[in-house]
Amino acid sequence: MLRADRGEQQAHTRKRAWNVVVFSVGGLKLAARTEDVGGVSPWTESIPVPSRTPFVQAMLKRGNYVMPVYDLASRLSSPVQGDLLLCLEARHLDGPMAICIDADVPSLETVDATAIRPSGREDVETLGMVTIGGEDVAIVALQRLGRASQDAVSS
Amino acid sequence: MSLRGHHNSTNMLVETASFLVVRLGISYVALPANGVRGVLTQEEAGHEQVVTAAETIYQLVDLAQRLSVVTDLSGLEVRTVLYSNGHSQGAIRVEQVVGLTDVERKDCFPLPRQFQCDERNWFGGMMLYQDQLVLIVNPSWVLGELADVVPAPVGQAEQMVAATPAAVGGSC
Repeated sequence: MLRADRGEQQAHTRKRAWNVVVFSVGGLKLAARTEDVGGVSPWTESIPVPSRTPFVQAMLKRGNYVMPVYDLASRLSSPVQGDLLLCLEARHLDGPMAICIDADVPSLETVDATAIRPSGREDVETLGMVTIGGEDVAIVALQRLGRASQDAVSS
Repeated sequence: MSLRGHHNSTNMLVETASFLVVRLGISYVALPANGVRGVLTQEEAGHEQVVTAAETIYQLVDLAQRLSVVTDLSGLEVRTVLYSNGHSQGAIRVEQVVGLTDVERKDCFPLPRQFQCDERNWFGGMMLYQDQLVLIVNPSWVLGELADVVPAPVGQAEQMVAATPAAVGGSC
């Protein structure tokens, strides 16, 4: 009985804290849930693909794997900064997706779930907004990134 | 337990598909080879809007323009591919014919689901050829049999799918 209580308490505590990866695109600080991030690696040149899907117009080849590139910088009208750009692999619902981010190495942060508030941003899908280091940071919903803009196109 | 099983496994049929790989600008595109009726030089093809070969008329298809790909069709390697799917014909001008290849069906991958618009009609899948990503075009679309307005339906998979490796091949 005691064990169950403790387990429940731990689960509750876990839910209250979100682990996020903080990264930047064009100097704009953003965050993503760590479970939505497949990894961060050096950016390599992408391969353009003829496409009419907004912001999905290239692929990235890694050995025998290829994954679509989501141009988050264009979507945010915020060109990536730095010489050695990085690739953030998003665990999208439709499969892994590469996002080019600034050269600044991302950091890991833990945020209190109760501190997450609605972001009000309409330019990108988010899970909310949180203040990190005195700065308001949108938590990007990597799993459904691009779905809103695609819905708008198809409607 | 018998050795017969081992013999059977060596006789397994490997399904392959043949493709003519061409280059348009920086994009590599594959055409199913069974529709290729000929490859002409610029001199042989001429500069008209139609090419006639073996008593068949092939209308010029500006594939680069349809794909919004920037090409330089003034080079020495420019070729015109005569193509037919049995009921429609077209003469496709390409910057370069890269090669003919047989690909095991398991090595053809579907276009990732994130591509959701007209391109799903344009490409039947993709593959790797000489370490290049090659997009397999849909001959019916190339020959003008499909309109661009209605994209093919995309599965409503709400589950995580793992990359686009050979494990999910078979798109050709």
